[in-house]
Amino acid sequence: MEMEKESELVRRCIEAACRSRESVEKWRRQRRTLERLPSHLSQSLLQNLLRSRILFPSLLEVFKYSVEEIDLRGENCVDAEWMAYLGAFRYLRSLNLADCHRINNSALWSLVGMTSLKEVDLSRCMKVTDASIRHLLSISTLEKLWISETGITANGVALLSSLKNLSVLDLGGLPVTDTVLNSLQALTKLQHLDLWGSKISNKGALVLQRFSKLSFLNIAWTNVTILPNLSSLECLNMSNCTIDSILEDDDDKAPLVKLIFAGATFMNEAEAFLYIETRFLSLLDVSNSSLNQFCFLPDMKMLEHLDLSSSMMGDDSVELIVCIGASLKILNLSGTKVSSAGIAILAGHVPKLEFLSLSHTSIDDVALSYVSSMPSLKVIDLSNTDIKGYIHQPGTELHKDSTLAALQNLRYLENLNLEHTQVRDPDLYPLSSCKELGHLSLKCASLTDATLHHLSSLPKLTNLRVCEAVLTNSGLDTFSPPTTLRMLDLMGCWLLTEDAISTFTRKHPQIEIRHEVVQILSTEQQNISNRASPSQLRLKTSRGNNKPGKVPISQFFVVDQRLKYSREELLSLQFPPLTLQSPHDSGIEIPKLQSDRLN
Amino acid sequence: MKKEDTVKLISAEGMEFVIDKEAAMVSQTIRNMLTSPGSFAETEHGEVTFPEISAVILEKICQYFYWSLQYSRGKETEFYIEPELTLELMMAANYLHT
Repeated sequence: MEMEKESELVRRCIEAACRSRESVEKWRRQRRTLERLPSHLSQSLLQNLLRSRILFPSLLEVFKYSVEEIDLRGENCVDAEWMAYLGAFRYLRSLNLADCHRINNSALWSLVGMTSLKEVDLSRCMKVTDASIRHLLSISTLEKLWISETGITANGVALLSSLKNLSVLDLGGLPVTDTVLNSLQALTKLQHLDLWGSKISNKGALVLQRFSKLSFLNIAWTNVTILPNLSSLECLNMSNCTIDSILEDDDDKAPLVKLIFAGATFMNEAEAFLYIETRFLSLLDVSNSSLNQFCFLPDMKMLEHLDLSSSMMGDDSVELIVCIGASLKILNLSGTKVSSAGIAILAGHVPKLEFLSLSHTSIDDVALSYVSSMPSLKVIDLSNTDIKGYIHQPGTELHKDSTLAALQNLRYLENLNLEHTQVRDPDLYPLSSCKELGHLSLKCASLTDATLHHLSSLPKLTNLRVCEAVLTNSGLDTFSPPTTLRMLDLMGCWLLTEDAISTFTRKHPQIEIRHEVVQILSTEQQNISNRASPSQLRLKTSRGNNKPGKVPISQFFVVDQRLKYSREELLSLQFPPLTLQSPHDSGIEIPKLQSDRLN
Repeated sequence: MKKEDTVKLISAEGMEFVIDKEAAMVSQTIRNMLTSPGSFAETEHGEVTFPEISAVILEKICQYFYWSLQYSRGKETEFYIEPELTLELMMAANYLHT
């Protein structure tokens, strides 16, 4: 739902219209004008009212003849009253209600009989159950439907077979069985099918061949081990599956573009890619998989995105990446056995590489000079490595050569992560010459006020994380941040007091501060506005990297608590109040972590 | 002011606004009308009629053209938009690509 690029005056008009409830009252009675508004303008206006938190149900009425798309993702206020107004939207084509937790079956009753509606997203609306399916069945125009992680059962899914126009169907996390999938055969227009975490087995997988137009399939976290050939398949996600054979056919090979096998176990590694046409592949994710050999890589001449994180990749196989280095743009080697020697092999062979992650590897400062010879790099993750920022030349134990200076060669470097490395204040100094650097992350208990000082001259810095450092109040007070800075994350800088932070905030109102003492409320609002775009969200769920259920959240929760609290504090937190008071609460932290990862 | 350097913008009611050509060029739509090859009436007479835009809005648009010129030359002032004009002005701005 990308908004059309607005002209300057249009943008100013929308801002003025959304300034306050009073300004809304000035224009909301101009009914005839409202009806004439081109739909992209009224959509912009509507989304801006929503963002400014001044949209209320009865105001929706003024948009009922003009709005065609509405995105209400994650809006907790959206309930049956809102839906009653939305049901009257004459030309509504697309409705996104993902994560609207107050949406239930009776709220969706308002959608019955809508005649223009083609796309409905109800992902993670947990109160939506089979009764809602009956409401949806009355909308015969439906082409795209997302109902992952709702309360819908196998019986409800079976009913969908009468929505003959469906081309996109997301059933992620629903208990779909082989029998139910069989009953969906009538959906011959299906192109995109999400079945992660469902109960389908090899028997159900055979039914997939009946969907002759299927180009996207996600069966991550299922028991499917043998996937029959699907001749139009372009994207396949079998993360966390145990794979015996896939797409076995000698003639009609699927034109695969994206393959995701994260966490997959291959029963027969030698034949894993035997039947797969890999020449056109642009994305391959074999992170955490059981693969030991990577001799399939050299055939993938068009590969742009390669994720080998936490795989068995090591220096001896780097030569295989070199074979396809010419096209690579994204390479994730985090958590592998690749060392500085491996990076040396890679250097000079990846002219287009923009993203490189080497976190949790054993690379040290030697690797930096090789990294700096990858001319297109924009994002580098060097966190949790042995990087020190300097190197002793042999024989000159007293003389230290800065290694971060090599990064100055990277003209496009925008994002650098040096968290949990051994880099100290003086060694950071060379970074002040990285003119394009917008995001910089540091997390180390040895960093001091001098860090801030070194970084104040970065001309394009927008996001700076200096976490768990020994920054002092006076250090923060004398810090003159770059004018471009918008976010300063100081979590875990335990010496800073509330007063010092609020003084800084008053002096630099354009900068959002993250710190334990900053009120939870402002953080919450930030997370709403920072939420990932629908395509990113879909990518995430479709990749199935997030284990069904709530496992990832609870993992983070446990980790976070152990890091941040002593045993006594943890005990006192056993019965926390219902309202979220602690800045360490998982619900607040998680979106940030995710958006960081998406960046 | 020479006639070639100005343009006449005419509102729905027939109200005429004579402004600098340079200011009018802030609008991509007017720029295209005035500079497109061929003998459009607009190009020849330096006159553009907007049957859909009322005088109140067209006046505001002209103010914006001049404000925008000054803004681009570094004079940072605020351009105030009355809330009751926002909808009509938004539509006109959308049409004029300004």
